[in-house]
Amino acid sequence: MPSQPLRDPAGSGAAADGAARKVSYMVAVDGQPACAELIRATCRLAEQQGAPWFGVHLDEPRRFMSSRVEERRLAANMLLVEELGADLVRVYPMSRFRDRELLAVARTHHVTHLVLGPGDAKRSSRLTGSLLEDLAQGDLELVIHVVPTRSSSAPPPRPQPEAMDLGKLGIAIGFVALATGAGYLVFHFLGLADVIMLYMLSITAAATQFGRWPTLVASVLSILTLDFCFIEPRYTFVLTDFQHIGTFAMMLGVGWIILGLAERIRAQTRLAQKQERHTRTLYRLGKVLAEGGSVSAIQVRVEAYLRQELEVPVALLLADAKGRLPVAAGPGLRLEPEELEIVRAAMERGVAAGHGTDILPQANCLMLPMPGTERPLGVLALWFVPGAASMPSDRSDLLVPLAAQIALALERASLAEDRTQARIHAEHEQLRSNLLSSISHDLRTPLGTITGATTTLLDPGPQSAPGDPKVLLGTILQESRRLLRMVNNLLDITKLESGQVQVKKEWAAIEEVVGSAISHVEEQLGSRPLSVELPEIWIPMDPVLMEQALINLLDNAIKFSPPDGAIEVRGWVEAQQFRISVADQGPGLPPGEEELIFEKLYRGTGRPVTPGAGLGLAICRGIAQAHGGAITARTRSQGGAEITIALPMEGLAPELNPDFTPDIPGSHHAP
Amino acid sequence: MPPEQTLVLIVEDDSHLRQYLTTTLRSHGFRVAEATTWEEGRNMAVGLGPDVVLLDLGLPDGDGLSLARELRTVSRVPIIVVSARGREEDKILALDMGADDYITKPFGSGELLARIRVALRHAADLTAPPPAAVEVGSLRMDFASREVTLEQKPVRLTKIEFDLLAVLIRHAGQVITNGQLLQEVWGDSAKAHATYVRVYMRSLRKKLEADPTRPRLLLTELGIGYRLKPEG
Repeated sequence: MPSQPLRDPAGSGAAADGAARKVSYMVAVDGQPACAELIRATCRLAEQQGAPWFGVHLDEPRRFMSSRVEERRLAANMLLVEELGADLVRVYPMSRFRDRELLAVARTHHVTHLVLGPGDAKRSSRLTGSLLEDLAQGDLELVIHVVPTRSSSAPPPRPQPEAMDLGKLGIAIGFVALATGAGYLVFHFLGLADVIMLYMLSITAAATQFGRWPTLVASVLSILTLDFCFIEPRYTFVLTDFQHIGTFAMMLGVGWIILGLAERIRAQTRLAQKQERHTRTLYRLGKVLAEGGSVSAIQVRVEAYLRQELEVPVALLLADAKGRLPVAAGPGLRLEPEELEIVRAAMERGVAAGHGTDILPQANCLMLPMPGTERPLGVLALWFVPGAASMPSDRSDLLVPLAAQIALALERASLAEDRTQARIHAEHEQLRSNLLSSISHDLRTPLGTITGATTTLLDPGPQSAPGDPKVLLGTILQESRRLLRMVNNLLDITKLESGQVQVKKEWAAIEEVVGSAISHVEEQLGSRPLSVELPEIWIPMDPVLMEQALINLLDNAIKFSPPDGAIEVRGWVEAQQFRISVADQGPGLPPGEEELIFEKLYRGTGRPVTPGAGLGLAICRGIAQAHGGAITARTRSQGGAEITIALPMEGLAPELNPDFTPDIPGSHHAP
Repeated sequence: MPPEQTLVLIVEDDSHLRQYLTTTLRSHGFRVAEATTWEEGRNMAVGLGPDVVLLDLGLPDGDGLSLARELRTVSRVPIIVVSARGREEDKILALDMGADDYITKPFGSGELLARIRVALRHAADLTAPPPAAVEVGSLRMDFASREVTLEQKPVRLTKIEFDLLAVLIRHAGQVITNGQLLQEVWGDSAKAHATYVRVYMRSLRKKLEADPTRPRLLLTELGIGYRLKPEG
């Protein structure tokens, strides 16, 4: 980095002093094209020395007059400073001399290094002048780096001449006319000096109220009328007394000075108002963003807020997960080819494109990139009505920081979403691998038995007893049934979890469903007494699914019962719910496991390891929930576990339905 | 018809299941013909004139359901559909399309033989004049006098209950879908509903079954229909 230190405190006689002071860098931030390079150069210089740095922006009233491109560039540069991790100091200058202001900032912030562009250095002969003065007085130690930049530092655009406002001109002329009238009234009693004061009053009024042209007109008109009406020889423009020329010059001068002051105050007021609006807009946006939520929720809220705040159509066009550019502003709102072109330019170059920018300035839409840490997140898009007045600059230069702030919030939300997704995915994977290992074990065990028994049958040993084949065949049959149950359970849980199961509720006769379930477990039941107690009612349920749930509950009860342990099935209605419970006389549930037993693969801690993939009760829960019901488990006071399924009761049972008169053929109605 | 003269056509693409079926049926004295595809199944069913068809619904080259419908257009041969669990809709469709019964994989040989026997008996009944009375176990039903007795004791049934029981007992051992019951008992009413069947089955069970949750006679084929248990 070539730099030309004007004076290096560390390398001169002031070395001791310089070493004591902490090195810090400062760069002026403005809307010049070269400024971004200067900011980066400052950052590099400071980082090389591990020194802090900051940007300073002189919020001069004249900024207000500058072009919109420059305004936007300024905003981007200010953002750049913050993105590079430095502070941005805003200074509201007291004088018009930018250079003196810069030095004042450097002094108050104890800056040791000031970074300038070549344009700055060239333009600022005053800077070097006053600098030398200060250095000579020994109250400033400063290294000035002049960093060559690629972008030519364009001269600041000339302030546009103020347009003439005929109304204001008229009022200014009216002020002069009033002064003239009042002059006639007082001239005889008081004298010329007071008449002059009256004219001064009108000039001052014009200067403070209206600006340049009215002040100029008021001043010239005042001088002319004063000369014509009041100065001897009266009613001619002839001047005899040269003393009056001095008076006129003074009138012009005072008017001009007051105008200057008033302009400054007006500009500062406008600036303050603008700052206030910016702050308010950003603050409100901050509040909108702080509500958090998903990316899409933030998107919707921000769009609504900006639409109201900026009063133009606004959309956040977000790139998808693969970084592909957005192609639509919403459902059914496809972007025009030109708009797509602008989106691409904004995303790829990282600068605002479209309406009023360097890229396709004639377009109706303006796209501001929303930079993310890894890739652009998308663009903030605004549409302007063709031909309508474009957005005031004090609104438009807010857009870059707005887009940056939105981008930050979006990225945060997106990261949070990614984290949640990743966690869910990891849990899912964990469960899947648990399931796989558990299932492969549970499937292999009976298959092993079957294979072993079959090979023995095919090749019986010399000592085999005549009854052996029957025993082995019985084993094969049992193990096959066990396998079948497991496969069925697996299919059921897969269907339930993937949402493939549709609950087809119909009015079911509960004894049919229970009866059908019992017929499936009759063989396993063995000699265990089974008691069933059901009300004679109609329950809205999917009978096939509920049968499966009941089979699993009975299966579970049998598994944990002693060979003669009674099993009870009981149904009743309670609190608008039909409840059906299956109770056994087994060991009951270990305290605290009442919920866990419905988890997939849960096998219980204190209980003997029992065959089955631990899916039966998970299926029951899935079926109960698919019905809008619930499942609970408890250990009964008399011992043994009781699992209860509660199903919602709704609608009118067929027998209670007055339309249900099927005994009269041909006249019945569907319930 | 003695088994030796009975030809069973097996339409099944899985060679192991086919082998099992063939071995089992031959060992019980049946003659067996094997078809492995839709096309072959139809040709053999038409050409050989089997006495009963075991039809797998999942064939490689076509839908078993359409084969059932196709066969029904050319003959009254009893069709027993072989299907997997959880395909209740397919079973109902097959039954309503003219299949006589279904059997769910996996099944034991006892169940298979019982189904074949029931199907054969009903095929034979179709040619005989309708009997005046039918007895199933301890249940006796006299169609002429419309009297029903259970263990020699008379049971009072309403008209619909009687009609319902009559349909089931005429098809004793066979599954009858809710749709078929509605059609037979209530006639062609568009407003008829499967709930009607359940309402009357409940009252019928109360009169005929000691424990409705463990029925001995009126079995529920959940999601499909009902079956009257043939032997007591």
